[in-house]
Amino acid sequence: MISDMAIVAFDRSVLKVNQAILMTVIVIGYVVGLAYHPIAWALPVLAVMMLAAVASPSLNVPRLLYLRWLKPAGIVKPRVVQEDPAPHRFAQLVGGVFLAAASVFVITGLLLVAWVLAWIVAALAFLNFAFNICVGCIMYAQLVRIGLLPLSRQPAR
Amino acid sequence: MILLLAPLIAIAVIGGAALLLRSQKGGQRELVGSVVEPAANHHQMPSVLYFTGEACTICHTAQRPALRSLAATLDPGIEIRQIDIAVEPELARQYRVMSLPTTIVLDSAGQVTDINVGFATAEVLRRQLVEAGMPVAA
Repeated sequence: MISDMAIVAFDRSVLKVNQAILMTVIVIGYVVGLAYHPIAWALPVLAVMMLAAVASPSLNVPRLLYLRWLKPAGIVKPRVVQEDPAPHRFAQLVGGVFLAAASVFVITGLLLVAWVLAWIVAALAFLNFAFNICVGCIMYAQLVRIGLLPLSRQPAR
Repeated sequence: MILLLAPLIAIAVIGGAALLLRSQKGGQRELVGSVVEPAANHHQMPSVLYFTGEACTICHTAQRPALRSLAATLDPGIEIRQIDIAVEPELARQYRVMSLPTTIVLDSAGQVTDINVGFATAEVLRRQLVEAGMPVAA
């Protein structure tokens, strides 16, 4: 019954690294950006990082950082759980879309809106990092529930 | 320095959205439904606490079916209690549940013997129940 679902061994530390990078870059970028506005161009870089991570694991920079350096060096310990990674991918996609929207506002010069969107992403990343509250996963569940997203596996019997 | 407002506006947006959702969900806080009816003698047998929530996809699609298949093979005296954290948040706090699903195995004295954060298979839970003192069927 379980084997036909998309439940796999999933290392949550990859998500934690991703969230840590997001929070760090956004907070530091914002503080620096108060005096040096061009630093806002870090937001499109973050957007590309997030969307690339959703597109392919081989393009997932936080994952590569974790697997090639942080994990072997023992800096971040693995936290492997058996679960469906789809909600987490969706949450990353939501974060990427928010940062892509922020990038548009950077390009158009509306830095306040851009940083508001970035701070929303940082705050949600913090919720997930510190309290395991994944707002994107909740959105995913609600969208599946109302039929706007297909469940990528057979339903439970 | 209008940019100084950015974090405040972001927090206000998130807080407003959370309050809106909370007010809309106020009338829906009923249990999803017990997997297994609580047994009367749960203090004399090991038991499982299953923490879940309405928005927990993996709970509904995987953990609950796994608990159903486990329950079908257990002595009726073994309790599997489903706890919706929105309905019983104090219990979730008591056991420091930070992620869903979480299953907690208690021994016959009510002491925690195992905590599974994330999906736990029926086989894992069965083994943990045996380790917690569940009699092994002959």
